[in-house]
Amino acid sequence: MAHAKSRSKKTILRSVLALGLVLGCVNAVKREDFKTCSQSGFCTRNRAYADMAKEDPKWASPFQLNPSSLRLKEGILTGDLFNTQESQQPASSAGLGFELHLLDNDVVRVRVNERDPIHPRYDGVQDTVLIKPYGFATEANIERLQKDDNGILTIQYGPNNRNTVRISSAPFKVEFLVNGVPTVLLNNDGLLRFERLRNKDDGVLGENKLVDQASEEGEGEIETQVEKSPLELKLEENSWEERFKEFTDSKPRGPESFGMDITFSGINHVYGIPEHATSLSLKATRGTGAPYSEPYRLYNLDVFEYEIDNPMALYGSIPFMLGHSKNNTAAVFWMNAAETWIDVEKSATDNNSGLLSWIKGKKPVQAASTKTHWISESGVLDVFVFLGPTQRDIFRQYSSLVGTTVMPQAFSIAYHQCRWNYNTQQDVAEVDAGFDEHDIPYDVLWLDIEHTNGKRYFTWDEAKFPNPADMQQGLANKGRKMVTIIDPHIKMDSGYHVSQQGADLDVYIKNKDGTSNFDGWCWPGSSQWIDFYNPKARDWWASLFKYETYVGSTKSLFTWNDMNEPSVFTGPEITIPKDVIHYGNVEHRNVHNLYGTMFHSATAQGLTERNETNQRPFVLSRAFFAGTQRYGAIWTGDNVASWEHLEIASPMLLTIGLSGVAFSGADVGGFFGNPEPELLTRWYQAGIYYPFFRAHAHLDSKRREPWLFGEPYTSQIREAIRTRYAYLPLWYTLFHEASIDGMPIIRPMFTVFPEDEAVFGMDDQYMVGDALLVKPVVKPGVTQSTVYFAGTEKWFDIKSFSVQQGPGAKEVDSPADRIPVYQRAGTIVPKRERIRRSSKAMENDPFTLVIALDSKGEASGKLYLDDGETFNYQHGDYILREFKVSTGTLSSRSLKPTTEPEASDFMQHKAGLRIERIVVLGLAAPLKQVRVADREIEVGCAQAAQGGHYVCTVKEPRVNIGKDFDLSFV
Amino acid sequence: MKTRSAIPLVATLTWCLSVATAEADSSNKLRGVAPSDLQRYIPNEKGHWTCLDSSKTISFSAVNDDYCDCLDGSDEPGTSACGNGLFYCANEGHIPTRIKTSRVNDGVCDPDCCDGSDEYSGLVECPNVCEEVGAVAKQERARLQLIQQEGSKLRKDYIDFGKAAKAKMVLDLAQFHAQTEDLERAVEEAKKILDAATLAQEKYHEGSKGDREASRREQLAPLIQEQASRLARAKNVRNKLRATLQNLKENYNKNYHDTAVKNTITGFDDYITGLGEDHESEASTDEEQVDPTEYSITPDERINNLMDQTYVIQREIGTLYDLLDNMSREYNTENNDEAVQVSVKVVEEFSTTWVTDRQEFGDEAALEVPAELTDESPEAEKLKDDADVAQSAFDEASDRRTQVQDGIRDIENKMKADLGKDEAFAKLFDECFDFKDIEYTYSVCLFGDANQRSHSTTFLGKFSHWEGANYDVQVYSGGTKCWNGPDRSVKLVMTCGTQNEIISVAEPAKCEYVFRFQTPAVCPVLPEHENEASTPVDTEEEAPPKHTRHDEL
Repeated sequence: MAHAKSRSKKTILRSVLALGLVLGCVNAVKREDFKTCSQSGFCTRNRAYADMAKEDPKWASPFQLNPSSLRLKEGILTGDLFNTQESQQPASSAGLGFELHLLDNDVVRVRVNERDPIHPRYDGVQDTVLIKPYGFATEANIERLQKDDNGILTIQYGPNNRNTVRISSAPFKVEFLVNGVPTVLLNNDGLLRFERLRNKDDGVLGENKLVDQASEEGEGEIETQVEKSPLELKLEENSWEERFKEFTDSKPRGPESFGMDITFSGINHVYGIPEHATSLSLKATRGTGAPYSEPYRLYNLDVFEYEIDNPMALYGSIPFMLGHSKNNTAAVFWMNAAETWIDVEKSATDNNSGLLSWIKGKKPVQAASTKTHWISESGVLDVFVFLGPTQRDIFRQYSSLVGTTVMPQAFSIAYHQCRWNYNTQQDVAEVDAGFDEHDIPYDVLWLDIEHTNGKRYFTWDEAKFPNPADMQQGLANKGRKMVTIIDPHIKMDSGYHVSQQGADLDVYIKNKDGTSNFDGWCWPGSSQWIDFYNPKARDWWASLFKYETYVGSTKSLFTWNDMNEPSVFTGPEITIPKDVIHYGNVEHRNVHNLYGTMFHSATAQGLTERNETNQRPFVLSRAFFAGTQRYGAIWTGDNVASWEHLEIASPMLLTIGLSGVAFSGADVGGFFGNPEPELLTRWYQAGIYYPFFRAHAHLDSKRREPWLFGEPYTSQIREAIRTRYAYLPLWYTLFHEASIDGMPIIRPMFTVFPEDEAVFGMDDQYMVGDALLVKPVVKPGVTQSTVYFAGTEKWFDIKSFSVQQGPGAKEVDSPADRIPVYQRAGTIVPKRERIRRSSKAMENDPFTLVIALDSKGEASGKLYLDDGETFNYQHGDYILREFKVSTGTLSSRSLKPTTEPEASDFMQHKAGLRIERIVVLGLAAPLKQVRVADREIEVGCAQAAQGGHYVCTVKEPRVNIGKDFDLSFV
Repeated sequence: MKTRSAIPLVATLTWCLSVATAEADSSNKLRGVAPSDLQRYIPNEKGHWTCLDSSKTISFSAVNDDYCDCLDGSDEPGTSACGNGLFYCANEGHIPTRIKTSRVNDGVCDPDCCDGSDEYSGLVECPNVCEEVGAVAKQERARLQLIQQEGSKLRKDYIDFGKAAKAKMVLDLAQFHAQTEDLERAVEEAKKILDAATLAQEKYHEGSKGDREASRREQLAPLIQEQASRLARAKNVRNKLRATLQNLKENYNKNYHDTAVKNTITGFDDYITGLGEDHESEASTDEEQVDPTEYSITPDERINNLMDQTYVIQREIGTLYDLLDNMSREYNTENNDEAVQVSVKVVEEFSTTWVTDRQEFGDEAALEVPAELTDESPEAEKLKDDADVAQSAFDEASDRRTQVQDGIRDIENKMKADLGKDEAFAKLFDECFDFKDIEYTYSVCLFGDANQRSHSTTFLGKFSHWEGANYDVQVYSGGTKCWNGPDRSVKLVMTCGTQNEIISVAEPAKCEYVFRFQTPAVCPVLPEHENEASTPVDTEEEAPPKHTRHDEL
């Protein structure tokens, strides 16, 4: 595959051969390939600043607002912000601009930018991340705008004016209070730091010049005269050129980083900022006893066999953090796509008297707080603050800015079968037949990089795949689809149409000189990377997906975008150098974390536009950022076939989900290595509860299609996958909910039970929607599991219907054939129990409702249904029902706004599909009579094996899924 | 096969699907029931009916009412309500069959149900294609039958051959055994003569033995010294290369996915595996080469010893050097992988001193060991001639004996091989077959080795055993170890054919190959005049429900 480059290009070795050197065990991930904070100049500088602040008991932020400059107009407050330590510098006399936006959805945005910098600071993230211009709170929404003598400005907003933002001038600080209680505090610890753009020749400028101040001397002589402390030296470290291993970052604009502390006051648990292989509740990275010493890093990277329980950066980045306590919920979105580091520090009790002094007289807030320190390499400081009041409000507020999860193709939430690689058309046919032979449903078969002609995407290896369209048709005949991989690196080959067109259109990322194309090494060898910041590139890229351009593609072919961090084998940290140039002369450093999403978006555009089929796209991406949910699914990259990786998948997916990307999964079975059959089976049992459910395996691993390990594993895996298919109506309804208000699909326990402190740190069990409780088994040889049953209601085992009473932890059975999954009392879950070979083959089948009655005999649930393929749902072509039980009657009503148009004939037909079965759980006595209008319906009851309640099955009530009805039972 | 597209789907949908199926008319009451099962679907006098697994008694009206009552799905043979039952397709014009009821009305025209009776909901129009399918199947069966008939004849020949071969081997073996005694005696006699001649010669030379040995030792001393230092040097270099590769293996950057580097590491792993257990103890024996027994062996033995050892080490150097050299030609120079660069540096330094094609150091022609000085008196010459004659007589006798012994061993080996129940594989013993695909040529010698060839040859395994009891799957195992994978292995899966040939090669999992092989040796043995007997081609017997075939993937 790899051709030798001219040997003269070889770098001369500096290192001396150390023969006979025997290293110990070889770590999976090569940690030294990736930077630590101390190897990153701007992280070092900002962390040193935090250290200085900590060492100085009298530390106060040198930043001050000019109180007389503050203006509030049409929801935007503006003012002049100065660093008092640099005010004598003529170059910086323009100071910084401070902005505070009061949005109409009770979100507050705080921005700090440089006035008249020598180059414009990059401020384009908002153009790609925010979905639309937002509205501002009108003056009527803002109450008690007060300015006191100390220059403290107070604005109240939100429902019943429960929220307050207080802006202090000297030192500069922005506090958000909920019902008078401090909740989110910006620059409370005075860690705001802002590196002003400057020319290299200007010497050391900027607010780091504590030393200048002290010496009161002119420039130039200082450095020779004043001895600097180690921390002060660190403040200037690697300001210009920066080296890492054999790579040099030229940093033509010099230092331009900034940082600020954000305190979640009275909140002990913070969540979010994926992607890291860590626990759901974020661990401290600073302070005594902190489990981590490195900050959480956000920098999209291709990390081979990543390490667990480590804040190292992975494939995606979402700078969104949610804090939650029993009394309070708040979140921040730090809108920056450059490399970002976040320190987390926990204080057991908040004894910062200064913080609370202003609310003297009120009962002391006995609060454990979390301090976070956000450090970004470039761009502008731009942070959104969300105060809820509930988590659901926060998810809605956040997603109203960055977008909600797009409604997926119905097939894409069913089961995906992937492997690097299915080798030939024959291989594909055999695997496909294997599923039918073993009666295991699946919807999508995937082809990895080997299907192409020499890793030239949009081509086929014609010897191995002579008739790709026929192959896809063969799958489509059974309602199945295919996905092929398309990566953003384009092989350098003038004979390759994509390569040549890209060159002709001049749409490749440029070297730092801004003119020559960057080339690096990836799967195909020497390659170039498409600049998706160029609008021309996006449109051209999208056009490549047309059937006539992507020869051999059909309507049932969809796309997988891999390696889009981007992964560059020859680059620093296996990615592209930061000083390469995008369209509009934008340095890559400003947009790195968004690159993969721009690619994802252009691909989704291509699938949407191809040949006007009105079909929704499906694109899986490895890299992601805030807003990725608008384009498709993501997965957690190259994991390992180990129990530890199975275990970490839950917290990783929960974190990604609460950060807005609901459609996510982990490779079932583990990508690298060979899972033993028990691990594979347990992984399937867990994986059926991932929003994106795909099995995948590395080229070097043994085959592991679900039937290859024989019994009992084949039956156990079959049963798991069939369970996924039975619950597809619930999953699809949850996707609808996510698409409307940004709710995660799989939810942390604390999202569903926000007042139960026992669950705030819990990430080994979780909820699917509000109805199902899932506890994956992540250890070998386990037949019993401890499940925490939250709330005061009952929980019903979804298979045996045995009952558990909350609250509290119980030991329950988790035999080899299933993991503990419970339906919560008070919920109604729609299912389809006729499992067929694909979800498509089930789309006209009748439904089953499972009603779990609560202690009051009530329950409710929803069902969303549309054609599963097209965009017609956006024009009202869908069904949304609410099922409710109270006082012995199950009623079905439409939740569709009356303003929406009626569903089409096609959806009317769907509405006519019947409910064939209604299962009622939690009855104290068997049902005697079930009626719809004056018809009596057959019902059979039995006592559940455990828990004493009765399970009744109503047979053929002859009611339609999409029509109103009332079913009474006694 | 007919497929659905979005537009006809909307047009042909039966809107009241649920009602239509729920109230199935009486003619369809027993839809999906095989004629042979009809008598099991009769209500009792109360109009009740019991599930076929006896799990439940239900009203007969609940049979095929599109609602699942029985655990075994037997109440819904004609609908998808249970999914786990079987639906009978009459397939007139072809073979009747049963499909899973989960495939009834699923919008897919099931190929097994060529009459289209599985799709009666109107969701999709499935034309009755049994006539065409039946004709094709009939043709196919005829073709297979022909092959089987032809194959059957060939197999009978194979069996005859096998039996004859076996009989011949038994005969040959007996003959060989009969000769053994005479040959042993001849060797013994020749040995006696040879010993006498040698003794006479030794006696003659006895007096001067010490002098001769001393002078020989003196003659060879500088050579021994030189060779010992060459050996030491070779070991040094070998160790250095080995350490370089070890370092590469432990420290190379996997993120780069550089094939050249991976291949070299694979090769190194193979090399280490090849060293086997000796590898562990070798270090110590290396050190003990200043041999305490130096004077207990002759100087000739000593020099030969050293030369042999040097040769072995140089071969190792050659292997290791080639691995590094190949990598340094092919690796991706842009990756800046330090471990790779270190290795390349080593190979660059070393390449100047190494002659690849001769596998030796540049300035080192092999040492020539001079002949021993000899006594040239007539008496000595005569004794020498006698000894030479005796030696060649002895050699001749023992060669004849060896031939017979080899013959015995050969036959015994062949007779040990499991050539099938009826010796049908005797014909194929050690026969070799090739298969060319895009990149490689695969080959197998039956009961021998399997290989993969391109520019080099990779050993895929040696015949290990038959799998199963049918004598149609052979396993070849213990091939070269795969990088990051198992030892290579081959499954040779055989089907009946009129010729011996590999028809496909697949590698479903890394380094686990499946060869499909056609041979008369597995054709069924049909009775004579099969083709004149009643033709099985047209029987209308129901095809059995498909069984899960064994999972070779």
